[in-house]
Amino acid sequence: MSNQQSAAGIGVGPRSPISAWFHHHRQAAQASYEKLLQAPVSNFLTILVIGVALALPHLGISIATAVQGQIEQLDSPPQLSLLLDGTVTYEEAARIREQVMRKPGIAEVKLVDRDRALAEFTAATGLQDLVERLSSNPLPHSLWVYPKANVRTAGLEQLQIDLGALTGVSQVILDSRWLKRLNAFTDLLRTTASVLFLVMALGVVLTLGNTLRLGIEARRDEIVVIKLIGGGNAFARRPFLYTGLFTGALGGVMASLLSGLALMALNAPVNRLFELYDQVPAVPSLVPSDLFVLILMGAGLGLISAWYSAQLHLTRIQPK
Amino acid sequence: MDVVFNRVGKRFGQRDALADLSFELQSGEMAFLTGHSGAGKSTLLRLLLLLERASSGDIAVGGRPLSKIKPSGIAKYRRDFGVVFQDHQLLSDRSVYHNVALPLEIAGFTQRDIDRRVRAALDKVGLLDRERANPDTLSGGEQQRVGIARAVVARPKILIADEPTGNLDPQLSAEIMGLFSAFNSVGVTVIVASHDLALISRMSHRILTLDKGSLITVGDSQRGRD
Repeated sequence: MSNQQSAAGIGVGPRSPISAWFHHHRQAAQASYEKLLQAPVSNFLTILVIGVALALPHLGISIATAVQGQIEQLDSPPQLSLLLDGTVTYEEAARIREQVMRKPGIAEVKLVDRDRALAEFTAATGLQDLVERLSSNPLPHSLWVYPKANVRTAGLEQLQIDLGALTGVSQVILDSRWLKRLNAFTDLLRTTASVLFLVMALGVVLTLGNTLRLGIEARRDEIVVIKLIGGGNAFARRPFLYTGLFTGALGGVMASLLSGLALMALNAPVNRLFELYDQVPAVPSLVPSDLFVLILMGAGLGLISAWYSAQLHLTRIQPK
Repeated sequence: MDVVFNRVGKRFGQRDALADLSFELQSGEMAFLTGHSGAGKSTLLRLLLLLERASSGDIAVGGRPLSKIKPSGIAKYRRDFGVVFQDHQLLSDRSVYHNVALPLEIAGFTQRDIDRRVRAALDKVGLLDRERANPDTLSGGEQQRVGIARAVVARPKILIADEPTGNLDPQLSAEIMGLFSAFNSVGVTVIVASHDLALISRMSHRILTLDKGSLITVGDSQRGRD
Protein backbone atom coordinates (compact mmCIF):
# COMPACT_ATOMS: atom_id res chain seq x y z
CA MET A 1 0.00 0.00 0.00
CA SER A 2 2.61 2.49 0.98
CA ASN A 3 4.52 1.81 -2.21
CA GLN A 4 1.41 2.34 -4.25
CA GLN A 5 0.66 5.59 -2.47
CA SER A 6 4.08 7.02 -2.86
CA ALA A 7 4.19 5.91 -6.50
CA ALA A 8 0.94 7.70 -7.12
CA GLY A 9 2.13 10.71 -5.17
CA ILE A 10 -1.11 10.82 -3.24
CA GLY A 11 -1.10 11.92 0.39
CA VAL A 12 0.11 10.10 3.43
CA GLY A 13 -3.00 8.15 4.46
CA PRO A 14 -5.80 8.42 6.98
CA ARG A 15 -5.79 10.57 10.10
CA SER A 16 -5.11 9.10 13.52
CA PRO A 17 -8.15 7.21 14.87
CA ILE A 18 -8.98 9.97 17.39
CA SER A 19 -8.62 12.72 14.83
CA ALA A 20 -10.75 10.72 12.37
CA TRP A 21 -13.38 10.18 15.09
CA PHE A 22 -13.66 13.90 15.75
CA HIS A 23 -13.69 14.62 12.03
CA HIS A 24 -16.54 12.13 11.47
CA HIS A 25 -18.53 13.74 14.29
CA ARG A 26 -18.05 17.20 12.84
CA GLN A 27 -19.13 15.97 9.42
CA ALA A 28 -22.14 14.11 10.82
CA ALA A 29 -23.23 17.17 12.84
CA GLN A 30 -22.94 19.42 9.81
CA ALA A 31 -24.79 16.97 7.55
CA SER A 32 -27.60 16.60 10.12
CA TYR A 33 -27.93 20.35 10.46
CA GLU A 34 -28.18 20.74 6.69
CA LYS A 35 -30.78 17.96 6.48
CA LEU A 36 -32.89 19.73 9.13
CA LEU A 37 -32.88 22.86 7.01
CA GLN A 38 -33.86 20.90 3.91
CA ALA A 39 -37.29 19.99 5.36
CA PRO A 40 -38.20 23.03 7.49
CA VAL A 41 -41.96 22.47 7.75
CA SER A 42 -41.98 18.83 8.83
CA ASN A 43 -39.07 19.40 11.20
CA PHE A 44 -40.78 22.45 12.68
CA LEU A 45 -43.88 20.34 13.41
CA THR A 46 -41.75 17.69 15.13
CA ILE A 47 -40.04 20.41 17.17
CA LEU A 48 -43.45 21.87 18.07
CA VAL A 49 -44.67 18.47 19.33
CA ILE A 50 -41.56 18.11 21.50
CA GLY A 51 -41.99 21.69 22.72
CA VAL A 52 -45.58 21.10 23.83
CA ALA A 53 -44.65 17.79 25.46
CA LEU A 54 -41.93 19.45 27.54
CA ALA A 55 -43.77 22.71 28.22
CA LEU A 56 -46.83 21.11 29.86
CA PRO A 57 -45.04 19.37 32.76
CA HIS A 58 -42.68 22.32 33.11
CA LEU A 59 -45.68 24.61 33.55
CA GLY A 60 -47.24 22.26 36.10
CA ILE A 61 -44.08 22.06 38.19
CA SER A 62 -43.45 25.82 37.94
CA ILE A 63 -46.95 26.67 39.09
CA ALA A 64 -46.89 24.09 41.92
CA THR A 65 -43.60 25.50 43.16
CA ALA A 66 -44.84 29.09 42.98
CA VAL A 67 -48.16 28.31 44.69
CA GLN A 68 -46.44 26.43 47.48
CA GLY A 69 -44.03 29.30 48.01
CA GLN A 70 -46.89 31.76 48.25
CA ILE A 71 -48.95 29.61 50.60
CA GLU A 72 -46.03 29.31 52.99
CA GLN A 73 -46.12 33.08 53.33
CA LEU A 74 -49.84 33.25 54.15
CA ASP A 75 -50.87 34.54 57.58
CA SER A 76 -51.71 31.13 58.89
CA PRO A 77 -53.35 30.42 62.23
CA PRO A 78 -51.15 28.86 64.97
CA GLN A 79 -50.34 25.32 64.14
CA LEU A 80 -50.26 24.22 67.79
CA SER A 81 -52.16 25.64 70.75
CA LEU A 82 -50.87 24.76 74.22
CA LEU A 83 -53.47 25.13 76.95
CA LEU A 84 -51.69 25.39 80.30
CA ASP A 85 -52.96 24.14 83.65
CA GLY A 86 -55.33 26.54 85.37
CA THR A 87 -52.93 26.83 88.31
CA VAL A 88 -50.00 28.01 86.14
CA THR A 89 -49.16 31.65 86.80
CA TYR A 90 -48.20 34.16 84.12
CA GLU A 91 -44.52 33.96 85.19
CA GLU A 92 -44.57 30.18 85.03
CA ALA A 93 -46.24 30.39 81.60
CA ALA A 94 -43.43 32.68 80.43
CA ARG A 95 -40.88 30.08 81.57
CA ILE A 96 -42.77 27.34 79.71
CA ARG A 97 -42.71 29.60 76.64
CA GLU A 98 -38.92 29.80 76.92
CA GLN A 99 -38.75 26.00 77.17
CA VAL A 100 -40.87 25.61 74.05
CA MET A 101 -38.79 28.18 72.17
CA ARG A 102 -35.69 26.05 72.75
CA LYS A 103 -37.27 23.04 71.03
CA PRO A 104 -36.04 22.35 67.47
CA GLY A 105 -38.39 23.27 64.64
CA ILE A 106 -40.04 26.18 66.48
CA ALA A 107 -40.21 29.54 64.70
CA GLU A 108 -42.17 31.59 67.22
CA VAL A 109 -44.19 31.17 70.42
CA LYS A 110 -46.75 33.71 71.61
CA LEU A 111 -47.93 33.75 75.20
CA VAL A 112 -51.62 34.61 75.37
CA ASP A 113 -52.60 35.95 78.73
CA ARG A 114 -55.82 34.47 80.12
CA ASP A 115 -57.36 37.94 80.63
CA ARG A 116 -56.57 38.93 77.06
CA ALA A 117 -57.98 35.63 75.85
CA LEU A 118 -61.21 36.25 77.75
CA ALA A 119 -61.45 39.77 76.35
CA GLU A 120 -60.94 38.51 72.82
CA PHE A 121 -63.49 35.77 73.41
CA THR A 122 -66.01 38.29 74.67
CA ALA A 123 -65.39 40.61 71.74
CA ALA A 124 -65.59 37.79 69.25
CA THR A 125 -68.77 36.18 70.60
CA GLY A 126 -70.67 39.18 71.98
CA LEU A 127 -71.44 37.23 75.15
CA GLN A 128 -70.45 40.04 77.49
CA ASP A 129 -73.44 39.53 79.83
CA LEU A 130 -72.60 35.91 80.29
CA VAL A 131 -68.95 36.62 80.95
CA GLU A 132 -69.73 39.29 83.49
CA ARG A 133 -71.74 36.79 85.48
CA LEU A 134 -68.72 34.51 85.90
CA SER A 135 -67.09 34.65 89.31
CA SER A 136 -63.61 34.11 87.85
CA ASN A 137 -61.85 33.75 84.48
CA PRO A 138 -62.22 30.08 83.47
CA LEU A 139 -59.61 30.33 80.70
CA PRO A 140 -55.99 29.24 81.29
CA HIS A 141 -52.93 30.98 79.92
CA SER A 142 -52.06 29.55 76.55
CA LEU A 143 -49.22 29.43 74.09
CA TRP A 144 -49.56 29.72 70.33
CA VAL A 145 -46.73 27.78 68.78
CA TYR A 146 -45.63 28.56 65.17
CA PRO A 147 -43.44 25.76 63.82
CA LYS A 148 -40.87 26.50 61.14
CA ALA A 149 -42.05 26.24 57.52
CA ASN A 150 -40.03 23.12 56.83
CA VAL A 151 -41.72 21.13 59.61
CA ARG A 152 -44.10 18.77 57.86
CA THR A 153 -47.08 16.88 59.22
CA ALA A 154 -45.11 14.04 60.80
CA GLY A 155 -42.85 16.54 62.56
CA LEU A 156 -45.83 18.44 63.93
CA GLU A 157 -47.34 15.30 65.36
CA GLN A 158 -44.09 14.46 67.13
CA LEU A 159 -43.92 18.03 68.41
CA GLN A 160 -47.43 17.63 69.77
CA ILE A 161 -46.30 14.62 71.81
CA ASP A 162 -43.14 16.37 73.07
CA LEU A 163 -44.93 19.55 74.11
CA GLY A 164 -47.72 17.59 75.78
CA ALA A 165 -45.12 16.02 78.08
CA LEU A 166 -43.98 19.41 79.47
CA THR A 167 -44.90 20.16 83.09
CA GLY A 168 -47.74 22.66 83.28
CA VAL A 169 -49.14 21.83 79.86
CA SER A 170 -52.68 20.57 80.10
CA GLN A 171 -53.54 20.02 76.46
CA VAL A 172 -51.95 20.42 73.03
CA ILE A 173 -54.28 21.11 70.13
CA LEU A 174 -52.83 20.46 66.71
CA ASP A 175 -54.77 21.97 63.87
CA SER A 176 -53.27 19.77 61.20
CA ARG A 177 -56.25 18.99 59.03
CA TRP A 178 -55.84 21.99 56.76
CA LEU A 179 -52.09 21.37 56.66
CA LYS A 180 -52.59 17.78 55.60
CA ARG A 181 -54.93 18.98 52.86
CA LEU A 182 -52.45 21.56 51.72
CA ASN A 183 -49.61 19.07 51.63
CA ALA A 184 -51.78 16.55 49.83
CA PHE A 185 -52.75 19.19 47.28
CA THR A 186 -49.20 20.32 46.55
CA ASP A 187 -47.99 16.72 46.49
CA LEU A 188 -50.76 15.87 44.05
CA LEU A 189 -49.82 18.80 41.84
CA ARG A 190 -46.18 17.83 41.81
CA THR A 191 -46.88 14.12 41.28
CA THR A 192 -49.28 14.91 38.44
CA ALA A 193 -46.67 17.11 36.79
CA SER A 194 -43.99 14.41 37.25
CA VAL A 195 -46.21 11.66 35.83
CA LEU A 196 -47.13 14.00 33.00
CA PHE A 197 -43.44 14.55 32.33
CA LEU A 198 -42.77 10.79 32.18
CA VAL A 199 -45.71 10.21 29.84
CA MET A 200 -44.73 13.14 27.67
CA ALA A 201 -41.07 12.04 27.65
CA LEU A 202 -42.16 8.61 26.45
CA GLY A 203 -44.29 10.33 23.82
CA VAL A 204 -41.30 12.38 22.68
CA VAL A 205 -39.09 9.28 22.45
CA LEU A 206 -41.71 7.39 20.41
CA THR A 207 -42.62 10.34 18.17
CA LEU A 208 -39.08 11.36 17.42
CA GLY A 209 -38.04 7.71 17.19
CA ASN A 210 -40.69 7.14 14.54
CA THR A 211 -39.63 10.26 12.63
CA LEU A 212 -36.04 9.03 12.67
CA ARG A 213 -37.17 5.56 11.60
CA LEU A 214 -38.68 7.14 8.49
CA GLY A 215 -35.40 9.00 7.97
CA ILE A 216 -33.46 5.74 8.26
CA GLU A 217 -35.77 4.04 5.76
CA ALA A 218 -35.41 6.97 3.35
CA ARG A 219 -31.64 6.56 3.48
CA ARG A 220 -31.60 2.77 3.28
CA ASP A 221 -29.58 2.73 0.03
CA GLU A 222 -26.97 5.03 1.49
CA ILE A 223 -26.69 2.89 4.64
CA VAL A 224 -26.26 -0.26 2.55
CA VAL A 225 -23.48 1.36 0.49
CA ILE A 226 -21.78 2.71 3.60
CA LYS A 227 -21.78 -0.73 5.17
CA LEU A 228 -20.49 -2.33 1.97
CA ILE A 229 -17.51 -0.03 1.70
CA GLY A 230 -16.36 -0.31 5.27
CA GLY A 231 -18.54 2.02 7.33
CA GLY A 232 -19.83 0.31 10.47
CA ASN A 233 -23.06 0.83 12.38
CA ALA A 234 -21.45 3.64 14.38
CA PHE A 235 -20.57 5.59 11.22
CA ALA A 236 -24.03 5.08 9.73
CA ARG A 237 -25.75 5.89 13.05
CA ARG A 238 -23.91 9.15 13.79
CA PRO A 239 -25.94 11.51 11.55
CA PHE A 240 -29.18 10.21 13.07
CA LEU A 241 -27.88 10.75 16.59
CA TYR A 242 -27.10 14.36 15.72
CA THR A 243 -30.52 14.78 14.11
CA GLY A 244 -32.12 13.53 17.34
CA LEU A 245 -29.89 15.76 19.43
CA PHE A 246 -30.59 18.91 17.40
CA THR A 247 -34.31 18.26 17.06
CA GLY A 248 -34.62 17.58 20.80
CA ALA A 249 -32.62 20.68 21.74
CA LEU A 250 -34.73 22.85 19.43
CA GLY A 251 -37.79 21.24 21.01
CA GLY A 252 -36.41 22.45 24.36
CA VAL A 253 -36.12 25.97 22.97
CA MET A 254 -39.71 25.71 21.72
CA ALA A 255 -40.84 24.46 25.16
CA SER A 256 -39.18 27.49 26.78
CA LEU A 257 -40.97 29.79 24.40
CA LEU A 258 -44.36 28.15 25.02
CA SER A 259 -43.83 28.08 28.78
CA GLY A 260 -42.85 31.73 28.81
CA LEU A 261 -45.96 32.69 26.84
CA ALA A 262 -48.22 30.56 29.03
CA LEU A 263 -46.79 32.05 32.23
CA MET A 264 -47.31 35.53 30.86
CA ALA A 265 -50.95 34.66 30.14
CA LEU A 266 -51.38 33.26 33.67
CA ASN A 267 -49.84 36.33 35.25
CA ALA A 268 -53.00 38.44 35.63
CA PRO A 269 -55.42 35.82 37.05
CA VAL A 270 -52.86 34.41 39.52
CA ASN A 271 -51.97 37.89 40.69
CA ARG A 272 -55.63 38.65 41.33
CA LEU A 273 -55.93 35.44 43.37
CA PHE A 274 -52.96 36.24 45.60
CA GLU A 275 -54.00 39.84 46.04
CA LEU A 276 -57.11 38.49 47.77
CA TYR A 277 -54.77 37.10 50.44
CA ASP A 278 -52.77 40.33 50.66
CA GLN A 279 -49.83 38.59 49.10
CA VAL A 280 -47.21 40.03 46.84
CA PRO A 281 -47.95 38.50 43.43
CA ALA A 282 -45.25 36.11 42.37
CA VAL A 283 -46.18 34.28 39.20
CA PRO A 284 -43.13 32.31 38.13
CA SER A 285 -41.35 33.63 35.09
CA LEU A 286 -38.96 31.79 32.83
CA VAL A 287 -35.42 32.08 34.15
CA PRO A 288 -32.20 31.19 32.28
CA SER A 289 -31.81 27.99 34.31
CA ASP A 290 -35.26 26.84 33.08
CA LEU A 291 -34.16 27.47 29.51
CA PHE A 292 -30.98 25.50 30.11
CA VAL A 293 -32.82 22.58 31.75
CA LEU A 294 -35.47 22.42 29.02
CA ILE A 295 -32.87 22.45 26.23
CA LEU A 296 -30.83 19.82 28.06
CA MET A 297 -33.90 17.63 28.59
CA GLY A 298 -34.96 18.03 24.97
CA ALA A 299 -31.48 17.21 23.72
CA GLY A 300 -31.26 14.20 26.05
CA LEU A 301 -34.63 12.84 24.98
CA GLY A 302 -33.72 13.44 21.33
CA LEU A 303 -30.50 11.52 21.74
CA ILE A 304 -32.27 8.63 23.51
CA SER A 305 -34.91 8.52 20.74
CA ALA A 306 -32.26 8.49 18.03
CA TRP A 307 -30.24 5.80 19.77
CA TYR A 308 -33.30 3.61 20.32
CA SER A 309 -34.46 4.08 16.74
CA ALA A 310 -31.01 3.44 15.24
CA GLN A 311 -30.50 0.33 17.36
CA LEU A 312 -33.91 -0.97 16.36
CA HIS A 313 -33.88 -0.19 12.64
CA LEU A 314 -30.42 0.74 11.38
CA THR A 315 -28.65 -2.38 12.61
CA ARG A 316 -31.20 -4.48 10.70
CA ILE A 317 -30.22 -2.92 7.39
CA GLN A 318 -27.54 -5.13 5.88
CA PRO A 319 -26.16 -5.31 2.35
CA LYS A 320 -27.77 -8.07 0.31
CA MET B 1 -3.20 -9.81 -0.27
CA ASP B 2 -3.70 -13.51 -0.95
CA VAL B 3 -7.05 -15.30 -0.76
CA VAL B 4 -7.37 -18.95 0.27
CA PHE B 5 -10.55 -21.02 0.12
CA ASN B 6 -10.16 -24.42 1.77
CA ARG B 7 -13.05 -26.90 1.28
CA VAL B 8 -15.59 -24.11 1.68
CA GLY B 9 -19.30 -24.88 1.62
CA LYS B 10 -22.34 -22.63 1.91
CA ARG B 11 -25.79 -24.02 2.46
CA PHE B 12 -29.07 -22.10 2.26
CA GLY B 13 -31.71 -24.34 3.80
CA GLN B 14 -31.53 -27.63 1.94
CA ARG B 15 -29.64 -26.17 -1.04
CA ASP B 16 -25.86 -26.15 -1.40
CA ALA B 17 -24.89 -22.80 -2.94
CA LEU B 18 -21.22 -23.75 -2.70
CA ALA B 19 -19.74 -27.17 -2.02
CA ASP B 20 -16.21 -28.20 -1.10
CA LEU B 21 -14.63 -25.22 -2.83
CA SER B 22 -10.84 -24.94 -2.69
CA PHE B 23 -8.53 -22.51 -4.51
CA GLU B 24 -5.82 -19.98 -3.79
CA LEU B 25 -5.15 -16.56 -5.27
CA GLN B 26 -1.77 -14.97 -4.76
CA SER B 27 -1.44 -11.35 -3.76
CA GLY B 28 -1.53 -9.12 -6.86
CA GLU B 29 -3.20 -11.77 -8.98
CA MET B 30 -6.24 -11.13 -11.20
CA ALA B 31 -8.91 -13.79 -11.52
CA PHE B 32 -12.25 -14.15 -13.24
CA LEU B 33 -15.09 -16.08 -11.69
CA THR B 34 -17.35 -17.43 -14.33
CA GLY B 35 -20.25 -19.81 -14.67
CA HIS B 36 -23.97 -19.79 -15.38
CA SER B 37 -26.45 -17.82 -13.38
CA GLY B 38 -26.87 -19.55 -9.99
CA ALA B 39 -23.45 -21.21 -10.25
CA GLY B 40 -22.35 -19.60 -6.98
CA LYS B 41 -20.25 -16.63 -8.16
CA SER B 42 -22.09 -14.03 -6.10
CA THR B 43 -22.21 -16.32 -3.08
CA LEU B 44 -18.44 -16.70 -3.24
CA LEU B 45 -17.99 -12.92 -3.33
CA ARG B 46 -20.49 -12.48 -0.46
CA LEU B 47 -18.44 -14.92 1.63
CA LEU B 48 -15.32 -12.96 0.82
CA LEU B 49 -16.95 -9.68 1.88
CA LEU B 50 -18.37 -11.31 5.02
CA LEU B 51 -21.92 -10.61 3.93
CA GLU B 52 -22.40 -14.31 4.67
CA ARG B 53 -20.46 -16.80 6.76
CA ALA B 54 -19.33 -20.13 5.33
CA SER B 55 -21.29 -23.18 6.47
CA SER B 56 -18.14 -25.31 6.34
CA GLY B 57 -14.45 -25.05 5.50
CA ASP B 58 -12.07 -22.12 5.97
CA ILE B 59 -11.48 -18.87 4.14
CA ALA B 60 -8.35 -16.82 4.81
CA VAL B 61 -7.54 -13.37 3.46
CA GLY B 62 -4.01 -12.11 3.91
CA GLY B 63 -3.40 -15.09 6.18
CA ARG B 64 -6.25 -14.12 8.48
CA PRO B 65 -9.07 -16.69 8.90
CA LEU B 66 -12.43 -14.97 8.32
CA SER B 67 -14.06 -17.17 10.95
CA LYS B 68 -12.01 -15.28 13.56
CA ILE B 69 -13.41 -11.89 12.55
CA LYS B 70 -16.11 -10.75 14.97
CA PRO B 71 -19.17 -8.78 13.76
CA SER B 72 -17.64 -5.63 15.28
CA GLY B 73 -14.55 -6.08 13.09
CA ILE B 74 -16.34 -6.61 9.77
CA ALA B 75 -16.51 -2.90 8.82
CA LYS B 76 -12.77 -2.48 9.26
CA TYR B 77 -12.09 -5.72 7.36
CA ARG B 78 -14.16 -4.46 4.40
CA ARG B 79 -11.98 -1.34 4.13
CA ASP B 80 -9.32 -3.56 2.51
CA PHE B 81 -11.74 -4.15 -0.36
CA GLY B 82 -12.98 -2.09 -3.23
CA VAL B 83 -16.31 -3.30 -4.57
CA VAL B 84 -17.86 -2.66 -8.00
CA PHE B 85 -21.51 -3.57 -8.48
CA GLN B 86 -23.48 -4.36 -11.59
CA ASP B 87 -26.07 -1.74 -10.61
CA HIS B 88 -23.37 0.77 -9.60
CA GLN B 89 -24.96 1.53 -6.18
CA LEU B 90 -24.26 5.25 -6.51
CA LEU B 91 -26.01 7.70 -4.19
CA SER B 92 -28.14 10.10 -6.14
CA ASP B 93 -28.34 12.72 -3.38
CA ARG B 94 -24.67 13.61 -3.78
CA SER B 95 -22.35 14.51 -6.61
CA VAL B 96 -19.92 12.24 -8.44
CA TYR B 97 -17.13 13.77 -6.36
CA HIS B 98 -18.84 12.99 -3.06
CA ASN B 99 -19.76 9.46 -4.15
CA VAL B 100 -16.13 8.74 -4.89
CA ALA B 101 -14.98 10.47 -1.68
CA LEU B 102 -17.20 8.32 0.57
CA PRO B 103 -14.70 5.48 1.27
CA LEU B 104 -12.02 8.05 2.09
CA GLU B 105 -14.35 9.86 4.49
CA ILE B 106 -15.12 6.56 6.20
CA ALA B 107 -11.42 5.75 6.42
CA GLY B 108 -10.76 9.18 7.95
CA PHE B 109 -8.58 10.81 5.29
CA THR B 110 -7.88 14.54 5.48
CA GLN B 111 -9.76 16.82 3.12
CA ARG B 112 -6.54 17.57 1.23
CA ASP B 113 -5.91 13.85 0.70
CA ILE B 114 -9.53 13.27 -0.25
CA ASP B 115 -9.30 16.02 -2.86
CA ARG B 116 -6.14 14.65 -4.39
CA ARG B 117 -7.25 11.03 -4.39
CA VAL B 118 -10.75 11.66 -5.72
CA ARG B 119 -9.42 13.77 -8.57
CA ALA B 120 -6.72 11.19 -9.35
CA ALA B 121 -9.31 8.37 -9.39
CA LEU B 122 -11.74 10.35 -11.54
CA ASP B 123 -8.91 11.26 -13.90
CA LYS B 124 -7.97 7.59 -14.14
CA VAL B 125 -11.51 6.63 -15.23
CA GLY B 126 -11.80 9.68 -17.50
CA LEU B 127 -14.50 11.54 -15.57
CA LEU B 128 -12.61 14.41 -13.97
CA ASP B 129 -14.74 16.92 -15.84
CA ARG B 130 -17.94 15.38 -14.39
CA GLU B 131 -17.04 15.58 -10.72
CA ARG B 132 -19.85 18.02 -9.90
CA ALA B 133 -22.49 16.09 -11.84
CA ASN B 134 -25.26 14.10 -10.23
CA PRO B 135 -24.80 10.36 -10.96
CA ASP B 136 -28.35 10.16 -12.32
CA THR B 137 -27.34 12.45 -15.19
CA LEU B 138 -24.57 10.10 -16.36
CA SER B 139 -24.77 7.25 -18.88
CA GLY B 140 -24.58 3.63 -17.72
CA GLY B 141 -20.93 3.37 -18.73
CA GLU B 142 -20.06 6.60 -16.92
CA GLN B 143 -21.91 5.47 -13.80
CA GLN B 144 -19.96 2.24 -13.84
CA ARG B 145 -16.70 4.17 -14.12
CA VAL B 146 -17.73 6.31 -11.14
CA GLY B 147 -18.38 3.06 -9.27
CA ILE B 148 -14.90 1.86 -10.20
CA ALA B 149 -13.35 5.16 -9.12
CA ARG B 150 -15.10 4.81 -5.76
CA ALA B 151 -13.89 1.21 -5.45
CA VAL B 152 -10.24 2.06 -6.07
CA VAL B 153 -9.96 5.54 -4.53
CA ALA B 154 -8.85 4.28 -1.11
CA ARG B 155 -6.26 1.99 -2.76
CA PRO B 156 -7.85 -1.30 -1.63
CA LYS B 157 -5.78 -4.42 -1.34
CA ILE B 158 -8.45 -6.45 -3.13
CA LEU B 159 -10.82 -5.22 -5.84
CA ILE B 160 -14.02 -7.19 -6.27
CA ALA B 161 -16.44 -6.69 -9.16
CA ASP B 162 -19.75 -8.51 -9.47
CA GLU B 163 -20.91 -8.57 -13.12
CA PRO B 164 -19.44 -5.10 -13.73
CA THR B 165 -20.16 -5.16 -17.46
CA GLY B 166 -23.61 -6.72 -17.25
CA ASN B 167 -25.45 -3.72 -18.66
CA LEU B 168 -22.73 -2.32 -20.93
CA ASP B 169 -22.04 -2.68 -24.64
CA PRO B 170 -18.93 -4.66 -25.76
CA GLN B 171 -16.75 -1.58 -26.29
CA LEU B 172 -17.52 -0.13 -22.85
CA SER B 173 -17.09 -3.58 -21.31
CA ALA B 174 -13.61 -3.85 -22.82
CA GLU B 175 -12.75 -0.39 -21.44
CA ILE B 176 -13.91 -1.37 -17.95
CA MET B 177 -11.88 -4.59 -18.08
CA GLY B 178 -8.89 -2.54 -19.21
CA LEU B 179 -9.27 -0.42 -16.06
CA PHE B 180 -9.28 -3.53 -13.89
CA SER B 181 -6.09 -4.76 -15.61
CA ALA B 182 -4.50 -1.37 -15.01
CA PHE B 183 -5.25 -1.54 -11.28
CA ASN B 184 -4.03 -5.12 -11.14
CA SER B 185 -0.77 -4.06 -12.77
CA VAL B 186 0.02 -1.85 -9.73
CA GLY B 187 -0.36 -4.78 -7.34
CA VAL B 188 -4.07 -4.84 -6.47
CA THR B 189 -5.61 -8.32 -6.27
CA VAL B 190 -8.63 -8.26 -8.60
CA ILE B 191 -11.54 -10.72 -8.60
CA VAL B 192 -14.19 -10.24 -11.28
CA ALA B 193 -17.39 -12.29 -11.43
CA SER B 194 -18.74 -12.37 -14.96
CA HIS B 195 -20.59 -14.71 -17.29
CA ASP B 196 -19.26 -12.90 -20.37
CA LEU B 197 -16.98 -15.67 -21.62
CA ALA B 198 -16.10 -13.86 -24.83
CA LEU B 199 -14.79 -10.90 -22.87
CA ILE B 200 -12.95 -13.04 -20.34
CA SER B 201 -11.23 -15.09 -23.03
CA ARG B 202 -9.57 -11.92 -24.33
CA MET B 203 -7.96 -11.24 -20.98
CA SER B 204 -4.71 -12.82 -19.90
CA HIS B 205 -5.69 -13.88 -16.39
CA ARG B 206 -6.75 -16.74 -14.23
CA ILE B 207 -10.24 -18.19 -14.63
CA LEU B 208 -12.27 -20.02 -11.98
CA THR B 209 -15.32 -21.73 -13.44
CA LEU B 210 -18.17 -22.60 -11.13
CA ASP B 211 -21.08 -24.90 -11.81
CA LYS B 212 -23.87 -25.59 -9.31
CA GLY B 213 -21.68 -24.41 -6.45
CA SER B 214 -18.63 -26.49 -7.36
CA LEU B 215 -15.37 -25.38 -8.89
CA ILE B 216 -15.08 -27.30 -12.12
CA THR B 217 -12.01 -25.71 -13.68
CA VAL B 218 -9.12 -23.49 -12.65
CA GLY B 219 -7.23 -22.20 -15.65
CA ASP B 220 -5.56 -19.38 -17.50
CA SER B 221 -7.22 -17.69 -20.48
CA GLN B 222 -3.95 -17.53 -22.47
CA ARG B 223 -2.66 -21.04 -21.74
CA GLY B 224 -5.99 -22.82 -22.04
CA ARG B 225 -7.74 -24.54 -19.24
CA ASP B 226 -5.84 -26.96 -16.98
